[in-house]
Amino acid sequence: MSDDQSFFLSTSKPIEIIEGNITSASNQNELSTLDEPIIETVKRDLKAVLRKFGHALIPRQSSTLLQQWDLWGPLILVTVLAILLQSDTTTASSGMQFAEIFTLVLIGSVMISINSQLLGGKISFFQSVCVLGYCLLPLLIAAFSNNLLLYLPYRSMLHIIRFLIVMTAFAWTMYASIRFLGQTQQPSRRMLALYPIFLFYFLVSWLIILRKPFK
Amino acid sequence: MMFSSDGFLTDQPPSKGPSQTHLFTSFPNSAVDLNDDDDDDDLLLDNKSNITQSYAYKPANEENLSLPLPATNKNNTNNEQLHIWQLEYYQKYFQIDTQQVLERLLGSITPKPNRSYFNSTIRHNPDLYGPFWVCVTFIITVAISGNIVAYFQLPDTDFQIDFSKITLSAILICLYWWSMPTVVYFFFRYYIKCNEYTFLELLCIYGYSLTIFIPVSILWMIPIAWLQWLLTIIASVISGSVLIVAFWPSVDSDRKSFNALSMLVVLFAHLFMAICIMMVFFHVSDNNINSKIETTMLSTMASSTTTTSKV
Repeated sequence: MSDDQSFFLSTSKPIEIIEGNITSASNQNELSTLDEPIIETVKRDLKAVLRKFGHALIPRQSSTLLQQWDLWGPLILVTVLAILLQSDTTTASSGMQFAEIFTLVLIGSVMISINSQLLGGKISFFQSVCVLGYCLLPLLIAAFSNNLLLYLPYRSMLHIIRFLIVMTAFAWTMYASIRFLGQTQQPSRRMLALYPIFLFYFLVSWLIILRKPFK
Repeated sequence: MMFSSDGFLTDQPPSKGPSQTHLFTSFPNSAVDLNDDDDDDDLLLDNKSNITQSYAYKPANEENLSLPLPATNKNNTNNEQLHIWQLEYYQKYFQIDTQQVLERLLGSITPKPNRSYFNSTIRHNPDLYGPFWVCVTFIITVAISGNIVAYFQLPDTDFQIDFSKITLSAILICLYWWSMPTVVYFFFRYYIKCNEYTFLELLCIYGYSLTIFIPVSILWMIPIAWLQWLLTIIASVISGSVLIVAFWPSVDSDRKSFNALSMLVVLFAHLFMAICIMMVFFHVSDNNINSKIETTMLSTMASSTTTTSKV
């Protein structure tokens, strides 16, 4: 708007100069979030992440996960899952195991997002990475309960119970991600987009079933 | 609406007076159109290029004030030059529906000598979705089944998921999927000199030919040696014959023996790949069982010698 003011001043005719504050409402909001204390920002972001956890656990009709995507939730989930799935006591190989799971989830999400975009889906890359990460929450709960259960006796029964828990979590995860991602493709290609998601979560559940506890 | 000479918005068309030094000819974007997808930046780039072209203001033409259509509109994509780094460039290889993929999968495991499924299904629309995900599924099933077999062969404490083996198998299978079509393509192009198949169609048919190995790799877990060999031979013969039926019409020339030889080469390459996978991951031979017995015997002997030495 300063260009306009210079235009006004360059003519020879006497003009009324308009003055005033030109900040719009959105500018004021940005300035105010810049000034707020960090604890407010962290609390607000945490609340958003926790709300999305709730949506991932109990899929409802709202589109919060899709429209207000963020990558904090997936990062936290993948890190906690990778820590839970470590089973070796030596630090070198446990670092390798952490990297394996992290890489698997990362590459898997990237490939699925690219695949759904190539098939013509109406979802952006980061939105689909966000949804895939958040839907890992039931599998994380299953891994956590598996780790707890391993401290009990009755080994053979335990294997069956662990297997059932992980299968239930896998079915829950697939249901949640079908609810969110199924709508973004045309009906004739929906199965094509959902099959890689099935493979991905199957691999992650396989890793959860297979990990053994600390000695 | 536009700025007149004294700086206020009017409805009248501009008349450039003697004292005017500047005329507004382009207007900045209004607020973001809420109907747009919040998609990749490629769309924004296309929008900007459209805006800079509408530099001359025509007051009778009000449409220049609105935003141009987003590039996801199907009519627009023909006008733009899609580059190799844009994702939309590769979308043309993925124009396929679920039904077509299922047809192609079924066609690749049922060899029909009269009708080449290649001509009926793939010819007009080769895709990359099917071959890629068939390869990935094959790698995953081989990795999982191989790990289960290793789990039963090794003692319980030593079991780890061997990611190096999985990456090795992944590289081998992808290499096979890409190298065989290259060889066949160059063979057809320079030796037989008929350009009938594009490279994409060859990739497609080779990718789909691996489908039969997916259930076979699960059956390979059964630790009976002759059954594994039988499965290998049957699977590679079936998918090899599908390949041969697809290639036969273009190889059919005077040199009959040469044709038979080249088709046999294709079949043997397939068989060789299957045998490699089976030997590396699954093969139960007497060696494996003997070695496990030997190690347990050795460990018991070692423990007994230590106890006798202590006594």
